Amino acid sequence: MRDKASLSLGSIEGMGRVNGGAVLGGRGGSLSEQLDLLAEMARDFAASRDIEGAMARALARIAAMVGAEGGALFLLDETAENLVCHASFGPVDINGLSVKAGQGIVGRSVAGNCSEMVRDVAADPQFKGALDEKTGFTTKSILCAPMAVQGERIGAIELVNKTSRSPGRSQGGGNGLFADEDLKFLEALAASAGLAILNARLAGELAEQEVMRRELALAAEIQRGLLPPPGADDFPVCGVNRPARVVSGDFYDFFILYDGRIAFTLADVSGKGMNAALLMAKAASLFRCLGKEDLRPGRLLQRINAEVCETSLRGMFVTMVAGTYDPATGRVVLSNAGHEPPLVYAPDGSFRALSAGAPPVGIPPELTGGGPVPEEVLHLNGGALYIFTDGVTEGYVTTGKELSDQGFKDLMVQGLANGEDAATRINRVATLLTSSGQPLRDDVTIMAIDDAGPARRRAEKGETSPPPDDAPPVDVLEGLLCQLNLPGRAQSLVMVRRAVEVAATACGFAKEQTQDIILAVDEACQNVVRHAYGGKGGGDMVIDLRREQGEFQVLIRDFAAPVDVARIKPRELDDVRPGGLGVHFIREVMDRMDYLPPPDGQGNLLRLTKTIRA
Amino acid sequence: MDIAISDQGGLKVVAISGEVDLSTSPKVRDALLDCIFKGAGVVVDLSKVAYIDSSGVASLVEAFQNAKTRKLSFALASVGDTPLRVLKLARLDQVFIIHDTVDSAVAALG
Repeated sequence: MRDKASLSLGSIEGMGRVNGGAVLGGRGGSLSEQLDLLAEMARDFAASRDIEGAMARALARIAAMVGAEGGALFLLDETAENLVCHASFGPVDINGLSVKAGQGIVGRSVAGNCSEMVRDVAADPQFKGALDEKTGFTTKSILCAPMAVQGERIGAIELVNKTSRSPGRSQGGGNGLFADEDLKFLEALAASAGLAILNARLAGELAEQEVMRRELALAAEIQRGLLPPPGADDFPVCGVNRPARVVSGDFYDFFILYDGRIAFTLADVSGKGMNAALLMAKAASLFRCLGKEDLRPGRLLQRINAEVCETSLRGMFVTMVAGTYDPATGRVVLSNAGHEPPLVYAPDGSFRALSAGAPPVGIPPELTGGGPVPEEVLHLNGGALYIFTDGVTEGYVTTGKELSDQGFKDLMVQGLANGEDAATRINRVATLLTSSGQPLRDDVTIMAIDDAGPARRRAEKGETSPPPDDAPPVDVLEGLLCQLNLPGRAQSLVMVRRAVEVAATACGFAKEQTQDIILAVDEACQNVVRHAYGGKGGGDMVIDLRREQGEFQVLIRDFAAPVDVARIKPRELDDVRPGGLGVHFIREVMDRMDYLPPPDGQGNLLRLTKTIRA
Repeated sequence: MDIAISDQGGLKVVAISGEVDLSTSPKVRDALLDCIFKGAGVVVDLSKVAYIDSSGVASLVEAFQNAKTRKLSFALASVGDTPLRVLKLARLDQVFIIHDTVDSAVAALG
């Protein structure tokens, strides 16, 4: 942005050019007086943030210098259809008065970009005198000079009635009528004022642009904050995002679920501007929020679509991949809503593309028939999954040459051969695309899920790879069956028992097994009520009933101080006494009971598991 | 959960119906101990108990122990499948005196 000093200089230069020597060298007020006025006016406009105030001061000075009883400064409005009075001087205040462009003496002056003098209004047919009737002011003589810069019409300055005491000037005094030299002088001043006003307007626009630029930078900062922080060195999921402009329409995210699985997403919002960035923020928040409910990826995308469609602007959409990855097994469940096919790299060196199973998010469900986005289940078996936006494959590596799918694959294989980790590999691609010497064509976003490390750890533990495809039939209940959010009080337990009864029965457990599971869950919830919350009902408990890969799982979350897991043990049954039976019941009935790290590290999360036998 | 107490052959028959859980077991405990502190032997009729948890079992154990120290009779009667399963899980089916019916319990204890 130009600074004030250069603006001020610019104005003075302009004046010199417009005025030439004709007027300033003319008769009347001293040259130095006139130069002083011009300089002062230019300074005022340049230094003041209040253009209106500067215009009023300029008009007052001009009127005083020329010697006028009153004056007004008119500017063309944005439509250029009206001339609006922005400053007035003298006995009548006409600020805000609007006249049709082209009408009256002012209009004629602006339209023709020529100055006007009506030495005696009584003799001019254009003079309506309507204002005089309203205000009681008697107009005798009018001077009007246009303000224009390089053909751009800005407005005009009008002066009325020559005063008898015009400082420094000798002509026309006495009869209230202007003389030719007054007009010449006004012409010069008006031209200068016009330039100053134009400059001040430009400066205002620049300042506005600067504010917008800063706001955009802030938006970008907030947007970067929506991306997940990188995980630890051996964390299997990583991502990179390089916006083509300040803000990005792409995003990726991942977080760890209660049982160690990692939920992930990568998405590309149509467009690259602020509207795309805002929709990106919305989609990203929806993923974070709904993703924590741990729906299956297909249902998650269905929910996000419903939310986006409810409020989204028409014509904008988001291509999105969402899924879960389990480092303990290498299993990935993935749904693709209209996105560039992710690539699965198998350790034998082959790649497989996972094409989209549904249209992008943002297409109203009534058009697509709704329903969950189809899911694909795969096992990485020590390989990797790469998800990226088309800004990657369509990005230029050299002038006019796109990276392409093959180029991306080659770089991944090459990086792997060089022993680079996944984060290094994808960052290398992003750097290659941003250093091609050309601006990015589109946002560049890549996420990698690298199963190599987890597979090594699984092998060390002697765990063999699971069967390649164990996707559940679509019509079987799977994932979260029911979630209860109840106060941690004894009175809540009956509701827990009813829900468990329905869910366990739905999973195919026989009556007696169902009774056992009810007892185990009830006992676990009792421990929350009695021990975690000390029987005072101080907080909530959240109970998830899930079916996961042939297991019935119950997750019980409380928000109390962490319990000392080592102290939780069943009592000796020979010791017949009240209490202490709960944990024994749970151990007896369920196949597994384990404490998991709670989300956000707050409270306790207990998981009870029982295998569903066919 | 409801508790009905009747006198039969010099014993208190405490009939419990409904679900005995953390919110209702204190009432069961109070009713049983009240009978015992008044010096009566007790037969607990569990025929109408649809559910009992560890806190309910604990109430029975506490009453049983108090009866024992006072040399009073204490028996369970008409234990349905669901409560019996819980007693078995706690290995208490071998600790409590359990009769098939209230009548047989009263006849045996009275």
